[in-house]
Amino acid sequence: MLIERIDALPTDEIGGLKVRPGKPLPFGVSHTPNGLNFSIYTSAGTACTLVLFRRGDDEPFAELPYPAHYRIGDVFCMVVFGLDSEDLEYGFRIDGPHNPTAGHRFDPSKVLMDPYARLIAGRDLWGELPNWERNYPYRARISFDDFDWEGERPLEIASEDLVIYETHVRAFTQSPSAGTKHPGTYAGLVEKIPYLKDLGINAIELMPIYEFDEFENSRIHPESGERLYNFWGYSTVGFFAPKAAYAATGQFGMQVDEFKQLVKSFHRAGIEVILDVVFNHTAEGNEHGPTLSFKGLDNKTYYMLTPEGYYFNFSGTGNTLNCNNPIVRNLVLDCLRYWASEYHIDGFRFDLATILGRDPWGAPLSNPPLLESLAFDPILSSCKLIAEAWDAGGLYQVGTFPAFGRWGEWNGKYRDCLRRYLKGDEAQVGQLAQRVQGSPDLYRPSGRSPATSVNFITCHDGFTLADLVSFNDKHNEANGEGNRDGGDDNHSWNCGAEGWTEEAGIKALRQRQMMNAMVMLLTSRGTPMLLMGDEFGRSQRGNNNAYCIDSAISWVDWTLLESNASLHQLVKALIAFRHQHPALRVNQFDGPGSNLFPSCSFHGTQPWSPDWSDQSRQLAWLMSCNLPEPQRGVDAIYVATNMAHYASWFHFPSLPIGFRWHLCFNTGDHEQPCHPAEPALDDGGILVGDRSVVVLKAMAI
Amino acid sequence: MNLTTSTHSGWHAIHVDGQVDSKTVGTLRDYIDQDVNGSLPVALDLSGVPFMSSAGLRTLLTLHRRTKELAVDLALVGLSDAIAETMRVTGFYDYFVVYADLQSLPPRS
Repeated sequence: MLIERIDALPTDEIGGLKVRPGKPLPFGVSHTPNGLNFSIYTSAGTACTLVLFRRGDDEPFAELPYPAHYRIGDVFCMVVFGLDSEDLEYGFRIDGPHNPTAGHRFDPSKVLMDPYARLIAGRDLWGELPNWERNYPYRARISFDDFDWEGERPLEIASEDLVIYETHVRAFTQSPSAGTKHPGTYAGLVEKIPYLKDLGINAIELMPIYEFDEFENSRIHPESGERLYNFWGYSTVGFFAPKAAYAATGQFGMQVDEFKQLVKSFHRAGIEVILDVVFNHTAEGNEHGPTLSFKGLDNKTYYMLTPEGYYFNFSGTGNTLNCNNPIVRNLVLDCLRYWASEYHIDGFRFDLATILGRDPWGAPLSNPPLLESLAFDPILSSCKLIAEAWDAGGLYQVGTFPAFGRWGEWNGKYRDCLRRYLKGDEAQVGQLAQRVQGSPDLYRPSGRSPATSVNFITCHDGFTLADLVSFNDKHNEANGEGNRDGGDDNHSWNCGAEGWTEEAGIKALRQRQMMNAMVMLLTSRGTPMLLMGDEFGRSQRGNNNAYCIDSAISWVDWTLLESNASLHQLVKALIAFRHQHPALRVNQFDGPGSNLFPSCSFHGTQPWSPDWSDQSRQLAWLMSCNLPEPQRGVDAIYVATNMAHYASWFHFPSLPIGFRWHLCFNTGDHEQPCHPAEPALDDGGILVGDRSVVVLKAMAI
Repeated sequence: MNLTTSTHSGWHAIHVDGQVDSKTVGTLRDYIDQDVNGSLPVALDLSGVPFMSSAGLRTLLTLHRRTKELAVDLALVGLSDAIAETMRVTGFYDYFVVYADLQSLPPRS
């Protein structure tokens, strides 16, 4: 027999509603028998009021001060009965000292959003001008956490087998050329799954999808009159809620279901979903920024403050989240656990992750407890954890990020070296040899493996691949900051003309250079990452920091898929090639190699004799392993790169009788770079054109 | 929201008229709990529904579960394009067999 629980009934009445003392955990809102439990933490706040709104109303229909005995430690908790959870929006008022120099900014006139809000209303349509006078702009709602996954689970693809594709939800399908029914949304992205599956990538990394304010620092460009936004979204409003305006159903408050359907659809296509998460700061800015949540809940707990009560700014955006405060640490952990368990997310990439390793006063910790907690968390144990191992405060930890055997890293050194080699800089071949084998110089000493290194040549931050080979300098005028923003260390080369040109020789060279970059990236050990649209030559017109641009500059132009078909075909073939050849994905340094060759060896125009001199612009690598059962045999891939301005004959490493080198790719013929593994014309070697790359594989005759 | 019922081509047709959201969904849920008993296949006629909230869509899934348990067929009839699209992008659509109108229902004896 079902016995009714005592706590299914109220004990008190406040503000016209039936209530009873609640439970402190979990924080945020949880369902209890017949009611909803509202739990909120504040250490320095002295009183708390629960504020309840009907959906969309400016004025609350009830305000419920928490009685003293509804407080346990620093947590106010109350169960409220008889609420219509779908029609409800809720917030809190916290009273306490307003003494900024002591770090306290309590203001009970503000209604504050629950930092654990799982569904956030108020800004449901992208770019719709908000009412700035509204007292409670971002409005916490109650989500239904009852999605039917139908047995689907995270894919758990090994890191070394991943090919990651970095994308931005809105930029990917907002252009009319995308031809999607729901442009710029989660649903629009789902419509492109067949394209991504055909391309062959098996992980998609989404730039921030946590609720953010696209109007943060929004302004009108003084010349073009175009509105500039926080387009990228690296500034979180709510860590537990998917951005409503990215959902085709956001105006119906169904973004939670739509995003879960996205993850389910990607998983069914064999593609993992990795989230780019921003825990280093929030959208509340510094002392001049808005008070949305943390600032009014417990400013001193959530933010790193100077002794005078100002905000430390290691993120370059106004404030810095106090990640190694135990309360904030738990918030981050709760958040990631929620996304891993409730949304089946496969991995996280942490923006400016070194901030997570700073102590509350900003000093780098040698053993950061947050990074350790995440590395050993039981719920996150199969999630990829990837660090952007630097921050705006000058801490650069590529190779030294406290990894606890778990963390991968965006390898900024890979990017810089590959770019410099590609454009023909001198003194790069030595470092290139390290980079293409998974950067053992960075990762071997600490016992890490090649897949620690997320290899990339381009990402959202900086030039696209097409711009990398078309511009010497950034052209960020559209950002409205006089071209002062964005990095200057692009290591780019325009191949002879700045920007758009009709000169056939330059265009051909650019094509070849893009192909060279893709071949080197996809034949390197480690985890390769591509930037959306680079596989068909997406351009941002020389803008290397399009963080604020919501127009054709940022949007993927899908007509390029046709005009750059040969590049797209090459990238697709290269990804398939990578999946077919385990020698490219060996995830150990000093592996045993194969019956024919060492695991990884380097060569020059003469086999076994690479030219390591500063003037050398040629290097070949040969990666090999024995094939596992049941195939058996040997996998051996030879990649010869020639970034010199003249063609050279590369003599092959010799093969035993019964084997021959077969040509798979040659970027020297940029119109037809893919070859169906045909025997090389000469058994002894191959002519590698100027600024060209060839790939061959050893095959038994 | 109004509910009426009829028998149509051997189907137990439930006609819903008006918005289905958290305020009205209780009536539909109560009806499902009390009157869907497995004697006939169920056709939920939504041609008079202009909007269905998240709570409404969840009740459709409840109905799906209930008819599955009773081993009777369930069909949705006359879904508006907007509701159908919302159901598609949130994953609800795949659970259902949908007909354009009552006349399209295959006759059941």
